[in-house]
Amino acid sequence: MNPQLIMDGLIAGAMIGLGAIGITLTYSILRFANFAHGEMISWGAYLALATSGLLGSLSGALLKPIGPFSFGWSLPLAVLAAVALTAGLALLVDALLFGPLRKRRSAVIIMVMASFGASLALRSLLEFIFTSKPVYFSKALQIALPLGGGLRATPDQLLSLAVAAILVVAIHILLTRTAIGRSMRAVSENQQLAGVAGIDARKVIRTVWMLGAGLACIAGVMAGLLVQIRPYMGFDLLLPLFAAAILGGIGSVPGAMLAGLIVGLAEALGVQLIGAEWRAAVAFMILVFVLLLRPQGLFGRAE
Amino acid sequence: MTGPQPSALSTRALVAGYEPDLPIVRGVDFSIRSGELVIVLGPNGAGKSTFVKAIAGLVPIHSGATMLGGFDITAVPTHEKIRHGLAFVPQTENIFATMSIHDNLLLAANVLPKEKRSRRVADLYAMFPDLAARPSLRAGQLSGGQRQMLAVARALIVEPSVLILDEPSAGLSPKIVQEVFAQLKAINDTGVTIILVEQNVKAALAIADRAAILVEGQLRHEGPAATLAEDPIVAELYLGARPAGKAATP
Repeated sequence: MNPQLIMDGLIAGAMIGLGAIGITLTYSILRFANFAHGEMISWGAYLALATSGLLGSLSGALLKPIGPFSFGWSLPLAVLAAVALTAGLALLVDALLFGPLRKRRSAVIIMVMASFGASLALRSLLEFIFTSKPVYFSKALQIALPLGGGLRATPDQLLSLAVAAILVVAIHILLTRTAIGRSMRAVSENQQLAGVAGIDARKVIRTVWMLGAGLACIAGVMAGLLVQIRPYMGFDLLLPLFAAAILGGIGSVPGAMLAGLIVGLAEALGVQLIGAEWRAAVAFMILVFVLLLRPQGLFGRAE
Repeated sequence: MTGPQPSALSTRALVAGYEPDLPIVRGVDFSIRSGELVIVLGPNGAGKSTFVKAIAGLVPIHSGATMLGGFDITAVPTHEKIRHGLAFVPQTENIFATMSIHDNLLLAANVLPKEKRSRRVADLYAMFPDLAARPSLRAGQLSGGQRQMLAVARALIVEPSVLILDEPSAGLSPKIVQEVFAQLKAINDTGVTIILVEQNVKAALAIADRAAILVEGQLRHEGPAATLAEDPIVAELYLGARPAGKAATP
């Protein structure tokens, strides 16, 4: 067995984990599976690409690669803008679609179907604006550096792993040590009691959308940086995202990240052992086994 | 000579319920004076819990008004009511069980200005030493009585003018009920106005100033707690006594 699968799995897992954090937060607070979350990944990547291109056209110096990486300063700056824009998009979708449905106290199935509709609309719009042709942040070739033990990784890959790790720690601290984090946990556990305790659930919901969309944007940029950018990139990640969110335990940020890494590693192992065409089946099998054997996941609470 | 004490909280022709065409509370006029402890009694299904939940903003109000110290809070959202000085302790699921005792209190303290938060948490720990002993303990691991104390502490952290409790004795042993009620009386003695919905009538009447009786969503009777405790109708309905002249069935 090629040990490189560990590195491939960790890198794919980091992207899955970041996306799964958004799914798990949305599910634990809004109580529905948001199938439009994958589109935030795609939109995040395209918005970063467009902003990066715009910045590059304003100043060519911003396109000059930073140190060993394949991208210039235009990309980190574009990511900041894209995170804000993707968060804004999520808030817009909530204001136009999910918010009015919540007001009418719509059933969970209505919310899920609405998220399917939003997913289709957002993806089609993306395809209409950017076409379905794959695009890249950079076409520069990167040499993978030997890390020992038969493992190799490019500087971009190592940076992505580091960013994912920093973000998970940051989100965990936000949830456990800050006022807004405690409010999010409170709304997740008992929205009515949270209201009685003076917590504005609408503010918490807005924070969750922004946080989830921001992380999805970064996952999209990572995917775009390491693979390619396509309108279907987020949709294709949905199954592993849900597998990771459920395996990690709904509401658990460290759980989602750890489960993302497990799903990523399992997919990489599956690709090596049985072939790339079975990649999606691996996430599906994990999803089915978790739902059958431990529906609360690794870190979730049993109902 | 002093004038009549101001009303701390009142309702006027309050109609409330989960469905607009099925009101559970039907035109209740109720008033509690500042510093009073009033117990709300009534048979099962009388609408007691719905009445206090409507005041707290958890059940839709279809008509009528709720006034808090002269300010109309009928349309004030639930999460804003605590900022106006109205605290509510639900009957069940009244603490965040997955969070620590300390986080439960910090969460409630969020509505206070930053500089006051740690002082109020410290005040509450002084008032409830049981909670101070293990602040990092997960609230779900507390006993029934300790949970009620945490729920009350959470509500008190904002120094409310009116505290409403929905059956705080539910599911507690008689000894713990006495402790909880003694604590509530002590809180009331500090000047906090308390509305208490209770099934444990004897114990509640012992600490209450006044009682209000709801029947079928309407306020049927009210009066001083001491008088009501002696009232044969109340005694028959809520204290398990038989009316005079009726022989016990063999």
